[in-house]
Amino acid sequence: MKIMKFYSSMIVGLAFFAFATTTWAGETLSVDMIVKKTIGASYYSGKDGRAQVSMTMKDSQGRKRKRRFTILRRNVTEQTGGDQQFYVYFHRPADVNKTVFMVWKKVEQQDERWLYLPALDLVKRIAAGDERTSFVGSDFFYEDVSGRGFDEDKHTLLETTDNYYVVENRPKNPKAVEFSTYTAWIHKKTFLPVKIIYYNNRNEEYRVYEVLKVGTVQGYPTITQARMKDLRTKSETLISYSKVQYDIGLPQEIFTERYLRNPPRKYLR
Amino acid sequence: MNRIVNHPKIVTFLMIFTTLVFALVAALPSFWPESFPMLHPLHVDTDPENMLPEDESSRVFHNQMKETLSLNDLVVLGIVNEKHPEGVFNRESLKKIYELTEYAKTLQWPDPEKPEEKIGVVEVDLLAPSTVDSMSQGGLGTVKFEWLMPSPPESDTEALAIRKKAKRIPFLNGTLISEDGKAIALYIPLTSKEVSHEVATALQEKIATYTGDEQYFITGLPVAEDTFGVEMFKQMAISAPIAMLIIFILLYLFFKKLALIISPMIVAMVSVVSTMGLLIASGNTIHIMSSMIPIFIMPIAVLDAIHILSEFFDRYQETKDRKKTILQVMKTLSGPMLYTSLTTAAGFGSLAFTPIPPVQTFGLFIAFGVMIAWFWTITFIPASIMFINKKTLENFGLKQSRHQKKDLLAGLGRTTYNHAKSILAGTLILTLVAIYGISQIRINDNPIKWFEASHPIRVADKVLNEHFGGTYMAYLSLEAETLDESANQYLPAFLKQLSADADEVQDFIPSIKDVFTSLENEAQNLAQSAQSKEDFFDRIENFVETALDAGSEEKLEAWDEILLSIDKVRQQGAIFKQPEVLNYIAELQDHLLTTGIVGKSNSLSDIVKTVHRELKLGEEQAFRIPDTSNAVAQTLITYQNSHRPQDLWHFVTPDYRMTSLWIQLKSGDNLDMEKVLVAVDQFFEENPPPQALQYRWFGLTYINSVWQEKMVTGMLYAFVGSFVIVLVMMVILFRSLLWGLLAMVPLTVTIGLIYGVIGLIGKDYDMPVAVLSSLSLGLSVDYAIHFLARSRSLQKEHGSWAKAQSAVFGDPTRAIVRNAIVVGVGFLPLLAAPLVPYQTVGVFIAAILFTAGVATILILPALIRIMEPWLFKKGQK
Repeated sequence: MKIMKFYSSMIVGLAFFAFATTTWAGETLSVDMIVKKTIGASYYSGKDGRAQVSMTMKDSQGRKRKRRFTILRRNVTEQTGGDQQFYVYFHRPADVNKTVFMVWKKVEQQDERWLYLPALDLVKRIAAGDERTSFVGSDFFYEDVSGRGFDEDKHTLLETTDNYYVVENRPKNPKAVEFSTYTAWIHKKTFLPVKIIYYNNRNEEYRVYEVLKVGTVQGYPTITQARMKDLRTKSETLISYSKVQYDIGLPQEIFTERYLRNPPRKYLR
Repeated sequence: MNRIVNHPKIVTFLMIFTTLVFALVAALPSFWPESFPMLHPLHVDTDPENMLPEDESSRVFHNQMKETLSLNDLVVLGIVNEKHPEGVFNRESLKKIYELTEYAKTLQWPDPEKPEEKIGVVEVDLLAPSTVDSMSQGGLGTVKFEWLMPSPPESDTEALAIRKKAKRIPFLNGTLISEDGKAIALYIPLTSKEVSHEVATALQEKIATYTGDEQYFITGLPVAEDTFGVEMFKQMAISAPIAMLIIFILLYLFFKKLALIISPMIVAMVSVVSTMGLLIASGNTIHIMSSMIPIFIMPIAVLDAIHILSEFFDRYQETKDRKKTILQVMKTLSGPMLYTSLTTAAGFGSLAFTPIPPVQTFGLFIAFGVMIAWFWTITFIPASIMFINKKTLENFGLKQSRHQKKDLLAGLGRTTYNHAKSILAGTLILTLVAIYGISQIRINDNPIKWFEASHPIRVADKVLNEHFGGTYMAYLSLEAETLDESANQYLPAFLKQLSADADEVQDFIPSIKDVFTSLENEAQNLAQSAQSKEDFFDRIENFVETALDAGSEEKLEAWDEILLSIDKVRQQGAIFKQPEVLNYIAELQDHLLTTGIVGKSNSLSDIVKTVHRELKLGEEQAFRIPDTSNAVAQTLITYQNSHRPQDLWHFVTPDYRMTSLWIQLKSGDNLDMEKVLVAVDQFFEENPPPQALQYRWFGLTYINSVWQEKMVTGMLYAFVGSFVIVLVMMVILFRSLLWGLLAMVPLTVTIGLIYGVIGLIGKDYDMPVAVLSSLSLGLSVDYAIHFLARSRSLQKEHGSWAKAQSAVFGDPTRAIVRNAIVVGVGFLPLLAAPLVPYQTVGVFIAAILFTAGVATILILPALIRIMEPWLFKKGQK
């Protein structure tokens, strides 16, 4: 829950939480509240947002590959955990320059995805059996980019430490995912998940997400560097965000098929 | 000799003591490794790869490529259903296959040496219907990515749908599912070959719990190799003791004195224990080759003892004095025995000159064992006779049963005298036939064929290769030739290209010129200090990225453009994204299919074509390489949006400068592998690649063909070398070139005949057959030594060959016949071994000894008859 962390101050949301619980006391916060706030902090900051992303993939032999892209995000509804739209524009490697990947994340139904491949002059809709496929060959999954829905897991608060809520998440439909559980260490103040460990059905760790750097952008705690490690392939992907901005007023029409071929240059630099 | 005979107890004690030392240095560290860290414990090695030295270049390359492309050795589990009309594509069978896959994933455990690491099955690379992705059309303009079989199908219709999807994907068709659509193969990668037997056994246990019409076949070279190791121990545990027993029984039949024949058995045991003890203690492994050491040493060890006993048997009644008789016997025999042992040791020792480490070890240790056996034979055998009660020997060697045999041998002797010319003519004809046979020899080996045809591994191999594109994997790597160019030499070309790119965008991005100038300056500095072109690129990119992040808003776009431009230049080296190169690979693959040996091949081209087709509505005409390298790159980035992005790196390196083709062969025969090698050489010769490419093979099937090749030439040199050494020894022994040459005749004829027969009957010249040449050399010369040595002395006694020959065809010939029978039959228990190489060795040694025996007692007397005037010219005075 993970890559995109455009934090949401969520004035509305916060007020609601403040009313329902004692936020800073933490202990009285229900686990569902914690997870909802985490999802908000990770994926719903501001009405929209953008970031320049550089991704470095390192395989078990230490060979590196880099990707550079811009990611634009727009919340479709006001409420945290609602539908969202993503527009991912690739700058480099040079041979995938201008490739665009677009997602309409829908809470109630299947997400819609598009891919624009400029060299083939081709816009494709992509249907996927599940959300847990690699994001452009990296160790991150699509679901890490767009966020995993609150209702997809059952959440249990394992413990509360000085700084973290430790939450175990168990999928409601285990067949749709490759993990049996995952445990998130959620920072008590920012509600950013700073570490997530995924366990397979033999209860072994096989995938580890760690936040390496956090900053504050326009008042939102924002992850600026994180790493996903796959212990099976012994590969890892480092992701860094720069030029993060929130509430830039991204026009709705950018997130349409038409803009795949004609990228909104102004927002991509 | 006197001292030995006078102090038999001391001799016996010394023998037992030294043998115990040898046994202990091997046994202690094997059973209590912690207490004896300075000693080497027993180590088993069944890896045919070790037929090549570890630093052998093709082996180094093989391992390096496995690492570079993260390739693992595989266990292949094939599932076939002959009863169901749709084969395994029914609800029930696929459910089992799903379960087996899930089970296979669990076959991992902590490495005993590094507990934090796991060994066993490499889960992420397992190929099974439930672990691979399918790409298909999902409605208008939609391409669908999903697990091929996310869960077991609910109905037979769903099962058929899975087959339909898989058949459309070239990577899966003929690899995961059979071309006839009836069978499935799971490819189970292993962290190392050493775990294959454990994994295969666990799978078999799981399979045993299933009922139904499915048949399961486990194969793959690693399983074969590991299973071989297990069978090898069976061989050592069964065949070697049986050989011992048979030799014992034969000795008893000849000499009828238990007390007497115990001692040769003890010498054999002592030689085997000492040799194996030294082998283990010196840190050598029990390998396919070295596991045969005991069974080689045992019959050879009793050889000399038989001569002693035979002679003793014949002479004892003359004096009835143990000591006198044995001293006399030893005087007669010590020369020939030393030489027969030396020649045998030389024959085996010559194997040290082969380029194959396990064969070297095998040869050297047998040579050692032979000399140990010789030493204890000339010391302990006489000593042991002194232990035997005089009474026991009372009726020993009484000549009752000897007459018929004597008649038979005497008749043979007369025949050689009277029909010498016919015998030699016959020999000549046979030799010519043998030469023809040798020219027909087919050099070939295949580790799978080391198992009997009925062995489950052979059966699995046959069934799976009928259904699938082939289960023998070889890999062909292609690598871009790197220009040996420093960053400084490269700089002008680099700047020229960047400047051209900048010119192009200058109208839209005016600041590009400024940015280009500052880049140019930096590039000149960096080019001086950069280690390599790659290093230069890394540093210049870093420089631009820093500038990009720090730069002013108006220059941002210009920096970005420059960075793109640099990346473009850099990517020009990624030749395996270029359409013409990928098309060339596809042509090469088509060419491979024409060999009839390659059932299927997989390459980067197939992946690109498949993804391209699915992007273009799944239409067949879109099953091609797209026209630009950018289009290839975008096809591949699409492919990597799967559950298994790492699959791509099994085919190509991330810099796209090295790729590898997976070639599935229907046969693991070296001969077939070589045909494929030739086909590829030919292709490259006739079709120059569009870019400078280097190609090189790797993979187990290829490695096997490499050591096979080395084995053949190595053995030939070893044979020629030992032939010369033995000839020199013979000349020294007989102090005559003519006699020396004469001694070489029977073995030359024997080896010629044996290899001629191998060529004529079409038996492959394989590893055991190759080893036999040195063995036959060392053993068959023994008979000639004994025969000629005795002939010469008896000729002196009797004055003419006509008279001498009847004496020669008495005791000396009988000893040779006894020997040939004991030793030949002694090797026959190898026929009971479950592994073909051992059986081959058993049959051929028996045949060699028999032939050598016959050749000695027929050809030598015939030659002596003809050449009598020259042979005994000087000896007559």
